[in-house]
Amino acid sequence: MDRERAEGAIVFEGLRKTYDGVEAVKGVSLRIPRGQICGYLGPNGAGKTTTVKMATGMLLPTAGTALIEGYDIVREPMEAKRRIGVVPETGALYENLTAREYLRFVGRLYHVPPTEIEDKTATFLRLFGLSDAADRVMTSYSKGMKQRVLISAALIHNPSVLFLDEPLSGLDANTALVLKELIRELAAQGKTVFYCSHVLEVVERVCHRVVILNHGEVVADGNVQELKEMTRQGSLEAVFSQLTSPGDLSELVRALSEEVTGEHR
Amino acid sequence: MKAGETGGGGERSAGGRVPSAGGLPTRENRLDWTQLCALLSVGIRLDLRRSRAGYGRRRVPPFVLALVLYVVMGSFLSLAIITTRDPFVVSLFTISAAMFMTALSVVMDYAVVVVSPEDYDVIAMRPVSSRTYFWARMANLFFYVGAMAGALAGPAAIVGGRMLPGGAAFGVSFFALALLGCLAAASVVVFVYAAAIRTVSYRRLTTAMTYVHVGATLALTLGYVFLPQLIGGNMRALAVERGAWMYWAPPAWFAGAASYVSGAGLPGDGLLALIAFVASVLVFGVAARTISLDYSRRIGEVATQAPESAADSGAARGAWDRLRGYGIAFCRTEAERAGFELMQASMARDRKLRSRVYPAFGLPIAAYVYGVLTGAFRTPDAAPRDLDVFTILGLYCVFVSFFFTSATAASDQWKASWVFHAAPLPRRSDLMTGARALVLSRYVLPFFALLFVMLVFVMPLAAAVSYWALVFLASLFAFALLSFAAPHFPLSQPVERTGRAGQLGLIAMFGALVAVLMAARRAIAVMPAAAAVVLPALAAAAIVAELALRSRLERRLAGRDFDG
Repeated sequence: MDRERAEGAIVFEGLRKTYDGVEAVKGVSLRIPRGQICGYLGPNGAGKTTTVKMATGMLLPTAGTALIEGYDIVREPMEAKRRIGVVPETGALYENLTAREYLRFVGRLYHVPPTEIEDKTATFLRLFGLSDAADRVMTSYSKGMKQRVLISAALIHNPSVLFLDEPLSGLDANTALVLKELIRELAAQGKTVFYCSHVLEVVERVCHRVVILNHGEVVADGNVQELKEMTRQGSLEAVFSQLTSPGDLSELVRALSEEVTGEHR
Repeated sequence: MKAGETGGGGERSAGGRVPSAGGLPTRENRLDWTQLCALLSVGIRLDLRRSRAGYGRRRVPPFVLALVLYVVMGSFLSLAIITTRDPFVVSLFTISAAMFMTALSVVMDYAVVVVSPEDYDVIAMRPVSSRTYFWARMANLFFYVGAMAGALAGPAAIVGGRMLPGGAAFGVSFFALALLGCLAAASVVVFVYAAAIRTVSYRRLTTAMTYVHVGATLALTLGYVFLPQLIGGNMRALAVERGAWMYWAPPAWFAGAASYVSGAGLPGDGLLALIAFVASVLVFGVAARTISLDYSRRIGEVATQAPESAADSGAARGAWDRLRGYGIAFCRTEAERAGFELMQASMARDRKLRSRVYPAFGLPIAAYVYGVLTGAFRTPDAAPRDLDVFTILGLYCVFVSFFFTSATAASDQWKASWVFHAAPLPRRSDLMTGARALVLSRYVLPFFALLFVMLVFVMPLAAAVSYWALVFLASLFAFALLSFAAPHFPLSQPVERTGRAGQLGLIAMFGALVAVLMAARRAIAVMPAAAAVVLPALAAAAIVAELALRSRLERRLAGRDFDG
């Protein structure tokens, strides 16, 4: 906790990732204090998921460091990983397990006491509306159901830092609403949330701070109001477009439409 | 698979290494039993359930089918006891077959047995040490190999326990040592690969990996087929001359140990038992101290490597590449061409797919090398027998066709096959026809062309033509037969780590067909004019099977739903 107070719950210092000579993330540096919800935005291929993968130990950074509550994810991975819960972008599930089996499995990996695993599993399954499907293998689940299992698995060990990569993907409106409220509630309790998304309205409503990434570089960092003032735009969508758009969007739409219909003007 | 402590990127930061304390467990790399048990129980559960995903939803998992096949094979092996009552010989015969089968199945299934791809997404972000993950995978492998070995050795242990000197003591010790031998053989394969990845940069190794698989298959097969030569006796009659060769043949160590522990062995068997013990301790000791430490990271590199670019894979369209894609000229519809190009691109760029398919080539090449080294090809008609090198080579050639048919149906990206159902195709089976055209034109036919040249060099021309035609036509027949029996869209099946074991068992059981094939060879050897009947008959069978396949494939595939 001392380390965290000194440095922040999540700290990136010059985080960099290169794939075959192409720099996916170009020296990202951030300090996210405890209890903050940090929205991490960027167009497709900007490097958001790569950042999350480096921060959670799934990818080794080419350079730089990622600290979770003061623990280096590369040098002290066990301590760092114990503190994080991750909802990944794409389904990280053993789909041939049932939801109940999967949550038990994840709980055991984090040494959650067996009785607590059973209690939490039952509670999550009930609250996320999965009780009836809890003992069916997940190959038969819809995308939203799998997402609910992933969210439950990220929370089962009561992590102090959450990495959420498109957590609302596939969720119905009610569950999405519940999750947004849950994120706020968890942050109020002191948990730190790193929230990657393309859904700007949600980020605008939920996050305390917004970081915009483009071509692997941070191009904006501040709260929504600050970003609007900085870019003199009225909405986060306009801010995002100004900072990351490759060109005239209406021209792009026209070109695509012509290509689809074959009606070239 | 997990990237482990250090993640799994292709590159490393300067401080990226986890302190290993000279191979001793540290806080960061200690073995966590709770996690190990959780990983193991889930691994086994997944093995047993795996086949229920994807198309078809078979009721019996392939693992169970494989075990049944291995029990049948083991029962055949136990027949050795009728021929000889020497515990050492019976043990040698059975354990060498079991060790060969298990090591071969690990080589062929390496990409899924050892490098379990789906683990990365699930476990890499969780606090599981490399050592824990390594031993969880090994324990899972031991379960898988142990069950196979048990199925193979079980019948001989039961029969031997009742009929051989030493009685129940022999049965129990034989069974335990057969298991240990198979576990050690499987472990050595894993450790050799893991050590190779530690020594050579993965980036460099990965290009050669598919060929390493071919080499491993070749080495294993050669070792196995050379065993009778080493023994110097007559394996067909199960007469074995004990000698110095025993110290060079690992199955003999375990066979000697079984014989010694049962109390029915000779004095020299004690030394073999000691060697078996020391070898096992060494194998597992090296793994425990060294390989397990950064196993996860190395495996993570496999999981997170960037896809092979078109330039890397040689898929850039050059004249040579167009020449190799000549088979597309035989595709009649757009869907056939689509199936052809899909398979062509996948084989060119998907290393995992290649590494699952290419090992099949190691088997016939090993049989060929064996035939050359023993001079068997010089007198092809001397004394045709059912289990001579010609039979083995023929079996392995047929195996290549089988292997390609089944292996190219599976892919990590099998869920992308939804598009086969969504697209408005007049005949969905054309996709499979196109993919088969690629496999046939790019791999099977060139392989047989090469084989023909290889045979011409070592055999009289007429004998080479006759034998080659026999094997080639039988392979084409088998190629159509398997597609007909188990039709799948290309790359539409989940990769199942237990599936290949079943295939190996199936191939071993395939002896009946091979016996027919070799009866034809014998007929040609005795009366060359018989070739005028046998070869056209086989060609007709292959053509009829292919035509029947084309006409019925659509109906058979129509019942297959996408379940992704």
